[in-house]
Amino acid sequence: MSTLGPLGRTTWVFPGGHIPAAGTGAEPEFTSRDELCLLNSGGDDAQVELTVLYQDREPVGPYRVRVGARRVRHVRVNDLIDPQAVPLGVPYGAVVRSDVPVVAQLTRVDTRRGKLSTSVAAGYPAEV
Amino acid sequence: MLSHVNESGLWLVNRFLGLTGKQTPQTWTVMQTIMGTAAFAAVLLLSLFVQRPVSVRRTDGKERTTVPEEFVNWSGSLRFTPGERSAPRTEEEVAAEVRRAAERGLTVRPVGSGHSSVPLMATDDVLMSLDALTGLVRHDTAARRGAVLPGTGLADAGRLFAEAGLGMENLGDVDYQAIAGAIGTGTHGTGLALGNLSSTLVGGRLVTGTGEIFPFGEDAGEDAGEDLVRAAQVSLGSLGVLTSLTLRLVPAYGLHRLNWCTHIDWVLDHFGELARANRHFDFYWYPRSDDAQVRTLNEPGREPALVPPGARLHADETGPGHEIIPNSRDLRFDEMEYMLPLEDGLDCFREVRKRIKERHRQNVGWRVLVRTVAADEAMLSNCTGRPTMTIALLQNNELPHEEYFADLEPLFLEWGGRPHWGKKHTLTAAGLRPLYPEWDAFQDIRRRLDPQGVFLNDYLRRLLEET
Repeated sequence: MSTLGPLGRTTWVFPGGHIPAAGTGAEPEFTSRDELCLLNSGGDDAQVELTVLYQDREPVGPYRVRVGARRVRHVRVNDLIDPQAVPLGVPYGAVVRSDVPVVAQLTRVDTRRGKLSTSVAAGYPAEV
Repeated sequence: MLSHVNESGLWLVNRFLGLTGKQTPQTWTVMQTIMGTAAFAAVLLLSLFVQRPVSVRRTDGKERTTVPEEFVNWSGSLRFTPGERSAPRTEEEVAAEVRRAAERGLTVRPVGSGHSSVPLMATDDVLMSLDALTGLVRHDTAARRGAVLPGTGLADAGRLFAEAGLGMENLGDVDYQAIAGAIGTGTHGTGLALGNLSSTLVGGRLVTGTGEIFPFGEDAGEDAGEDLVRAAQVSLGSLGVLTSLTLRLVPAYGLHRLNWCTHIDWVLDHFGELARANRHFDFYWYPRSDDAQVRTLNEPGREPALVPPGARLHADETGPGHEIIPNSRDLRFDEMEYMLPLEDGLDCFREVRKRIKERHRQNVGWRVLVRTVAADEAMLSNCTGRPTMTIALLQNNELPHEEYFADLEPLFLEWGGRPHWGKKHTLTAAGLRPLYPEWDAFQDIRRRLDPQGVFLNDYLRRLLEET
């Protein structure tokens, strides 16, 4: 068993969220989406809480995600429903807090133009 | 307030401050009058915002004064403050409360756990909680019968029946409703051969609108198929307050649950096979991914081998039926559900799926639930006379549902849908009547049992009485 130890930070910020409302191709493979990718290299499970911020209303959250010790987890933001679905096609931002250090990034898949295009945004590690 | 010459306070101020006889009324009296008037006005203003105490009659007949408490339903979408709350502990107390309300021209609405998302229980008059009327009245294991009090929670009823070696043949997804509310609104689970919960009511006791105690069906020594039973099975609390419910049960049984995730296309291609092969089968469709969650329940050892390709298993558990069937998460949502003829149900679902993907998934991330229910004979059951497929739209309770539900409801109606009585819909009596062959027979029975309309609130009046 690898002994990487915990890497990353406990708070990450993503200001540029936006899930394309349309897409092309078979689903779920080609669903346009934002995907939050979490990496937990440490020996303890990570209890991660996501809070979503909007342009015109108060933040919503926490959305709770568990990432096992020494595991990655990719969560489609489209699929988050508890406490409520994140609307498609509008700007949003996200603050990710974890009880142990993790590394976080946001991947966007956009299939609106009949092709697969992807982009990756590193999060901003933040200190409180 | 108007301090004047025969008041000692006026002379005290006059002497201490060394004022003249004329100066005192000009200053002290005027100031006191302003203070008093301002204070009175302030209290008057405050009283507009503070709830007034009302009289609540306790079941022991003594009056007590309290501030009415707001009623909030499970999803939080429904709020009202009843004029009175009543919590009878016996059938006689229910009857006395109903008679008293009838004499005063008040409406009585019984309430269970408040899981419904339509205002069946809303009233400005008497809200009657059945929480104090719980428990098993009697059972007969050999005859497969059990009678329970109306406020008994479904989970408690399941446990009580299991102790007697019995079980309800089916349950819904949640088990925190009170049994009278669940049965009165046609609550259902899933299963091609399994009717809704109401179809298992074979008799019971009602307190009618005139305050009479009225045994019906097997409790009156009559057949379970007689008109009164078929009216009472789904009656929305409009015939009277159910004070005891006698149910047709089955020997206690165990179930094995499997929940797995696969693609919606595979589920649609195999729907008939899945529905026939499993005791219970239903699926959730997730509009933002086209994934589906298939849920099957079977008695251990009697399970089909049908498993979808690439399925991811989400749940695998075995236990007593009444513990395994309820399978919900505590996420609050508002819901619209329509009952469709089984043979047309999948075509309707395909249109629903297309419509949601085209118009609604920007704001709808939660799921659509598809189930089956056997035909029954209850006059107002939305499964009456036809094998049924149900389609339910679920929306987070904190997000708007109006536009979503309003756009989909006409589609359900085009396919011959009948709305779930306890969930959101916009039909009124004129639209409902053509959907139920025995509508008029039900209304005749209702008017006979409740001639004054004691149990009709505004919502039920719109639902049951054509204008």
